[in-house]
Amino acid sequence: MKHLLLIAAGEWRYWVRSYLALSGTALFMVLLIVTSLLTGMHSEEQAHEREHHQTEAENTFLAQPDRHPHRMVHYGHYVFRTPAPLALFDPGLDPVIGQSIFLEGHRQNSAMFADSGSSANVGGLSWLTPAMVYQLFGPLLVILLGHGAIVREREAGTLAHLLAQGISGRSLIAGKGLALFCFILLLLVPLLFSSLFALSHGEEVFSALSLMGVYLLYLLMWGIMTLFFSSILQKRSTILASLTALWLGLVLVLPSIAVSIAERAVPLAGKIETDLIMQADIRKLGDGHKPNDPAFKQFRLNILKQYKVEKIEDLPVNFRGLVAMNAEKNLTDVLNDYAYARMKREVEQAQRLSDYGWLSPQLAIANASRAISGTDLEHYHRFLREAEKLRFDFVQGLNNSHAEKLTYQDDMNRNRDDASGLKARVDATSWEVLNVFEFQPASAADRLNNASQAILMLIIWFAFLLGALLWSGRRIQP
Amino acid sequence: MNILNAITREAKFMVRDRAVLVWMMVVFILSSLAVWSGMDSVEQQRASIERLQEADREDRMLQLSQIKSWGSAAYYGFYLTHDEPSDFAFASMGQRDLLPWKHRVRMLALEGQIYERDTGNPLLALVGRLDFAFVAVFVLPFVLIMLLYDLRAGERIAGRHDLLVAVAGRDASFWLIRAFIRALSIFFCLVIPLFIAGLIAETSLTTLLLASLFVFVYTIFWTLLCYWFAAWRLSASVILVALAGVWITLAVIVPAAGRMSIDRMVPITSGADILMTQREAVNDAWDLPKATTMNAFWERYPEWNEYKLKEGSFDWSWYYAFQQVGDQKTEPLTMTYREGRLERDRLAGILSLLAPPILLERSLQALAKTDFSAAIAYEDRVRDFHKELRDFYYQKMFRKEAFDNKLLKYLPVFAAGK
Repeated sequence: MKHLLLIAAGEWRYWVRSYLALSGTALFMVLLIVTSLLTGMHSEEQAHEREHHQTEAENTFLAQPDRHPHRMVHYGHYVFRTPAPLALFDPGLDPVIGQSIFLEGHRQNSAMFADSGSSANVGGLSWLTPAMVYQLFGPLLVILLGHGAIVREREAGTLAHLLAQGISGRSLIAGKGLALFCFILLLLVPLLFSSLFALSHGEEVFSALSLMGVYLLYLLMWGIMTLFFSSILQKRSTILASLTALWLGLVLVLPSIAVSIAERAVPLAGKIETDLIMQADIRKLGDGHKPNDPAFKQFRLNILKQYKVEKIEDLPVNFRGLVAMNAEKNLTDVLNDYAYARMKREVEQAQRLSDYGWLSPQLAIANASRAISGTDLEHYHRFLREAEKLRFDFVQGLNNSHAEKLTYQDDMNRNRDDASGLKARVDATSWEVLNVFEFQPASAADRLNNASQAILMLIIWFAFLLGALLWSGRRIQP
Repeated sequence: MNILNAITREAKFMVRDRAVLVWMMVVFILSSLAVWSGMDSVEQQRASIERLQEADREDRMLQLSQIKSWGSAAYYGFYLTHDEPSDFAFASMGQRDLLPWKHRVRMLALEGQIYERDTGNPLLALVGRLDFAFVAVFVLPFVLIMLLYDLRAGERIAGRHDLLVAVAGRDASFWLIRAFIRALSIFFCLVIPLFIAGLIAETSLTTLLLASLFVFVYTIFWTLLCYWFAAWRLSASVILVALAGVWITLAVIVPAAGRMSIDRMVPITSGADILMTQREAVNDAWDLPKATTMNAFWERYPEWNEYKLKEGSFDWSWYYAFQQVGDQKTEPLTMTYREGRLERDRLAGILSLLAPPILLERSLQALAKTDFSAAIAYEDRVRDFHKELRDFYYQKMFRKEAFDNKLLKYLPVFAAGK
């Protein structure tokens, strides 16, 4: 144990004296702190702005005067996706997905206005976030500090000395490993601050802890890989070059190859294309604006039977409103079928991509990080589903007042003249069917569950490399 | 003669150098993979456009077959617009992964339609695909660094440095020749797949030559940089770390810092404001006197101002007039949104002069017509087409021409720019 601490302390002393180690660490920390501040500020501003727009949209909707309820169905409403608290660390999909959706009757619109669509175009790696700094440059820094651990002793001729003193290869590695472990813990301090900040914005402790846990696992994995190379290869610059090449392959190249493969393996038709196919299904349903559409014949009979009347004029409710309600329900079922099919397809594609996490730990950590932060594909779909639920509820609420608060006669005469138009209105309190929209990420446990496969990948990488390191530790020779 | 000898000698050395051969192979394979996957994506986009055009036509024919007035023809008729991938798009997908290249529009207010996004899986767009631009911009410099960082330090450690210098005569040219032979072999491994793909995709020779010229200049830049660093009398590890630092700075830090500062320097109209303004304008029109709407409409279209409207009843001409007025009211916001985005792009162009990776990526995107201006140009074409559509129907509606299904064949056709 004493040896272990001595070796670790020796390594730290070396780092403190090494110009490269110091400047590398300083650069990393500065980069991390600056991106943390900027991403945090951006996330904060976005949250503020979108909340403001959300309230504004709700107030405008509620402030609408008395009018025909179906006007409000087409007037529609906007919802805004507020970023999750941990988006200040990992915004994930936020820049590439739309921030708001226009909700109206009879349609599901796409999310519009993504940051990436209006930002300055300066190339692929410009969307730097604290999460990316850890994922991309954390390993490089670990490599920079750790690559010399064993080989330096070998090149300086001190390795034979140490081994002769009765320190086994494994305890030498353990001592160096301890030093690297402490260094990695130090690297995670900015993440700790980001997490604390997110906690103050309502994030759950469990998520913050798991986020730190996965990054610890990821960086440790690279640390072990570095020590492994340092103990099996003989030349310092060869080790550094091999590790950097490995970094390039695993962190930069493999993920983008995986994207190209996933895109081919699971082709995804565009929205316009599926919408066109969907139109054929929708046409079978009948237009809810036209109660005389033959598609509603059976519905009409059922209603007449239910209320035991002969003519729709004798109904105690407005038949046009009932038809609108019925048509919206059937239409929404079709719209949802297609929307869910698309989401399923996107998830399949994402799954295909994340399978490559077995080959590239960067894909695994990125998936885990987004899932825990609540900024992954799952949460985008969650937003779409919640927006759709809100849409359906307020449209049906309006259709309900169309059926209940407006008589069939008044409704039929609405275009006759101005006075009839005024009569075919319901009062503005009916607009209160609109629910408040507040997008919240899933619970911490659910998010961790979404990350479980990626975490398993990291654990296997970790265990595998640890095994290799232990094996190499036995074989260390001067 | 001397130099020629030196070149042949170095070439012979290189052929026996396993590391160089391995890296050449890596670059060749990555480049081939990248252009192949790029060509496949372009193929998929073309196929998708073809399917869409077919489905779009069928859908419109079906919709319009049951129509009895110009007003409802305009209401139910959707029209596909798209931006065809260029013959070089396979090399750099650029903004096509982020911005829409297809819209289906109809004659309602355009502002409500043009920001719809039919883009692919956002996760794939975020991670980014492997295309030629990616390999050239990010991987190539790295490989050059790997091959050149220990140009001298390696020989120094092996104890051959001084001997080599003594034998080879002039110091600088010897190392320079060695560096350039390595760099050029990597360059050719990168560019040969591009040319093969270009031949298959029938890319114009000028485009291919320009692209390889850009990549060539980029290669020279990194080779000279590596050569200069490698001349330091420091250990190979220090040189490698320093070069990797330069790579990170130019390829990641400058772009990231630049993007954030440009976005801050040029604030942009919020998209939400455009949409809300447009919706309020369109919806308020239902309750306004028709004359108010029509007066605003006639300001833009004085040629139809003899047309009289009856208050109190529904009229298609009035309906489309208030859609038009809705767009007109949003115009100032739309213009600032558009100009803001263009200004950001202009500043990004200036920034790229400081960082060769941005410059190369933007240049390749420009050649591939997948840059920001191509996306804006497409948006403009959609706007123009929408205007033609309006002109066509306004004429029919305001002149009160009798509805005739057969005349629909004179509808404007969207011209997909190449």
